[in-house]
Amino acid sequence: MDELKLSEIREEIQKDRRAFIKNVLGGTIAGSLLMVIPAGAMEFPEQIPGMQDETGIFITRKKFAFIVDITRCIGCGSCCVADKNEYKVPEGNYRTWVERYIIDDHDNVFVDAPNGGLDGYTEPREDVPNPVRDTFFVPKLCNMCEKPSCVQVCPVGATFQTEDGFVLVDDKRCVACSYCVQACPYSVRFINPVTKTADKCTWCYHRVRKGLLPACVNVCPTHARKFGDLNDKKSEIYKIMRLPHIISVLKHGMGNKPSLHYLGLRREVV
Amino acid sequence: MEPEYKSKYNAHLIKVILVLIVLGVGGIAAQALFIPSDFGEYGHYRTGAVEDEINRLVRNQTNESCLKCHPFIKKIHLGGVHKTVSCEFCHGPNADHAVDEKKIADMPVKRGKDIKTLCLRCHNKIIRARPEESIKMIAMPQHLEEKRVQTTHICNQCHHVHAPMKWVIEAKKAHGLIKEKEGLFPWMN
Repeated sequence: MDELKLSEIREEIQKDRRAFIKNVLGGTIAGSLLMVIPAGAMEFPEQIPGMQDETGIFITRKKFAFIVDITRCIGCGSCCVADKNEYKVPEGNYRTWVERYIIDDHDNVFVDAPNGGLDGYTEPREDVPNPVRDTFFVPKLCNMCEKPSCVQVCPVGATFQTEDGFVLVDDKRCVACSYCVQACPYSVRFINPVTKTADKCTWCYHRVRKGLLPACVNVCPTHARKFGDLNDKKSEIYKIMRLPHIISVLKHGMGNKPSLHYLGLRREVV
Repeated sequence: MEPEYKSKYNAHLIKVILVLIVLGVGGIAAQALFIPSDFGEYGHYRTGAVEDEINRLVRNQTNESCLKCHPFIKKIHLGGVHKTVSCEFCHGPNADHAVDEKKIADMPVKRGKDIKTLCLRCHNKIIRARPEESIKMIAMPQHLEEKRVQTTHICNQCHHVHAPMKWVIEAKKAHGLIKEKEGLFPWMN
């Protein structure tokens, strides 16, 4: 393969501009030019528009939010399976899970989540004595708080909030003291029995930085999980947040200001 | 004249100062040794931790990346109502199957009873809590009785797992129950 380096091309141009342009137009150098320009560097499809231009240490132009649409979730557990596969989460621990709510006509609330919804829901609940008034699934994951209590309590700086708003865990610094596990109002944290450090959902930070959607969002068959950029006026997230939908966050009174929003959330869950 | 009880030597003071110096130097050395150099650059954390997280291996790919190498399945899968279902939900993560588009291991394919379990994860009517309007729900074995087939049947004997109505539509067309051009459920095609 005869490959031209940039310096060689420059030399060629210096030698005879007119001849060079003629050659390029004639197609003798054109092929070599294409070889110099790196092509096909993108390994992943860009599911989040403009994300692959963000190459700095932090994301600068985007503000991400997560919306879970309760009215669409069918409790199939695709998200839980994808999550387990993405991170090889040890048995009995869940970075994300799906709860089933059943409310009877006396307003008694029945909640269960067998194996975190990982195996799907195969059995109906038999112990509901009264006729069912309302029933739905609630997927749970990290709320990615604007004011995270887990970061505040960490004594070694192992859990932190990046400048782009993601709360991450540094498993090289974590001493597994479990302060953060107790501090999280949403119980999304656990001590990973394999790494022996605190672990939790990160909204798939590594995928997002490559322009991919979080694994659970990518697999959701009914599009109940939505992820996107609030600064992008064309994104679905932006449109939902600005239209008169019933949008709520969990435990609003805790003051953690979650970036995870629920669409069609019943008051029994909040 | 100085009183007797006051020591003429400062040995006790020197000892204390020496201990303080040793502790101070030791402390600074320990700090330099144990706190990574990139700690505290942007906040109370290690900047390298962000990079570590970014460099984590992507194990789940997208449907497009799977279908790129499986054009036959692509045609069927995207032509049916299951086009929104993730390949990796049933077959496992891409990272266990291919590295740089080269196959490293076979993907598991569910068969027999496992198929039924898999289908019922989404389509089981008896699990209350599902919004009825979003997907088709069936109850077993009533569905089989309704369709007048044996109750031992498993789903993929009538339904193609990648495009559930494919064979049903083809059969109905063959019997003249529906016209050649229209589908069974026009909104589904």
